[in-house]
Amino acid sequence: MRRKPLSAVETRMAIIETKNLTYTYPGAAWPAIKDVSIKIEKGEFALITGPSGCGKTTLCRCFNGLIPHFYQGELKGEITVAGLRVQEHPVYELATHVGMVFQNPENQLFALSVEKDVAFGLENLGLPREEIRKRVDWALQLTGIYELRERAPTELSGGQQQRVAIASVLAMQPEVIVLDEPTSFLDPLGAKKIFEVIYELNKKLGITIVLVEHRLDLTAKYADHIIIMDGGRVVLDGEPHAILSSEEARLIGVGIPKATRLYQMLKAEGVKLGGKVPLSSEEMAEKIREAFKRHD
Amino acid sequence: MSFFDGLRFRRVSSPIHNLDPRIKFIYACVIFAVAIIFWQLLPLVVLFVMQIPFVLIAGVKREWFRSMKGAAFLASIIFFTNLLFPFISAGYVITFSSLEYALAMTIRFLVLVGSFSIFFLTTSPDHLGLALEQSRVPYEFCFAFTTAVRFVPVLAEEAQTIMDAQKARGLELEKGNFLRRVRNYIPILIPLIVSAIRRSLELAEAMESRAWGATKKRTNLYVLKLRREDYLFAAITVAILAIAIFVRLCFYIPRLEEILAGIV
Repeated sequence: MRRKPLSAVETRMAIIETKNLTYTYPGAAWPAIKDVSIKIEKGEFALITGPSGCGKTTLCRCFNGLIPHFYQGELKGEITVAGLRVQEHPVYELATHVGMVFQNPENQLFALSVEKDVAFGLENLGLPREEIRKRVDWALQLTGIYELRERAPTELSGGQQQRVAIASVLAMQPEVIVLDEPTSFLDPLGAKKIFEVIYELNKKLGITIVLVEHRLDLTAKYADHIIIMDGGRVVLDGEPHAILSSEEARLIGVGIPKATRLYQMLKAEGVKLGGKVPLSSEEMAEKIREAFKRHD
Repeated sequence: MSFFDGLRFRRVSSPIHNLDPRIKFIYACVIFAVAIIFWQLLPLVVLFVMQIPFVLIAGVKREWFRSMKGAAFLASIIFFTNLLFPFISAGYVITFSSLEYALAMTIRFLVLVGSFSIFFLTTSPDHLGLALEQSRVPYEFCFAFTTAVRFVPVLAEEAQTIMDAQKARGLELEKGNFLRRVRNYIPILIPLIVSAIRRSLELAEAMESRAWGATKKRTNLYVLKLRREDYLFAAITVAILAIAIFVRLCFYIPRLEEILAGIV
């Protein structure tokens, strides 16, 4: 498994940084997120998870300025994204730095053809037509939906629609793509395909990915950084292996990958497989193979 | 859902489909105008028959007949009211000329419906939105239009789901008299409206995230350009208008009665 060095490299810089971020929705009695201080670095694949209603979506909305500009409400603390203070820049400006993919693919596609949908953001920016055409084709090819470009979004499967949504933010060439539970409407195979696409974008283009997801079985292996939230606060933040094998993560009710759980259970019974905690079935299989080899 | 089928544009290609929507719209308007300047049966029948080749070339025969069938009820109302007034004023007799007049008015209505349904049946909503945009209609309106069209099938599906859910809870839609039946639909409408509002919020969020409103001068991926066929069609349209005006001003148009009398 590929793993980018997380250790202190001097050139690494935070692309998203929040300090004591607290936000209350208009009319709400208590804040949806409290004292969130996180740092996501350029080129990272960050995974945010936690039980439903823990503030993951609210945090995502802060990343591209939907909070506070669209939702109003009270935002305290500091947040900078791609060097811009979110409170001071309108959503359309932040949108060129941070692409946002939402949960329901159906509600983020407006046009009557895939191509037109991918072009939507670029048209809004008023780019020249040739440039739009070039970027649309590029984004469609990268997400593997070039053949679907003339179809209507309603004719597509959920997985295909979600890839259109990804292509449409990708076309704007953002530095960060935030995906808020992009696979909750999809079947496992469609979900797997989406994760592969975003992993590709992360690896090939160096786009920072912030993925909110419950299905850690499929995604933990891609992550460089895991943030676990509960009750509006960040409770765990760090390197995936350490976090997912911790007792706290299990108690919060995060969907710990089965491979990780298996490793822990075996360990508790005295079966030592050695090395790092596995995060995916592939890693686990590798460990078991090694263990057998040692026995022979 | 058969009711929504009519609103669903079928993506087909034909010489008529590929014409510029603006020219097609002008054509429909010209036919409208010509139908208004004549009130005799003969030219109106000619005008009606003239639509048929277009329908055949476009290959939308079945859809076109369906929309004509939809217009049949209104057409019959027009026929009978136009028959009724001369009937009363002529002293309760039906004359041949009053029958001809009522028929002419009905055909006039069918010409209007027919020509506009050719326009809507052969113009994709995408093209229509584009035409609106290039006719300098503010982009917000064009966007509202295309989005509305885009969400018709989505909402139709949702309505079906809600109906099934409410039926499963024991709602009987086809029960009772007319008023009762209308009231039966309230438990369907409320969830549908609520979810539509929710949906619109999510849509707004997605639009914001895709730089909606970044510039006043928006570009469009596609541009409508007039091609040779479009100019040809425009010429045909102008010719129809010119001939119609010429005939209207310079010729006496015989009534059916007179023609029949001439033959006899």
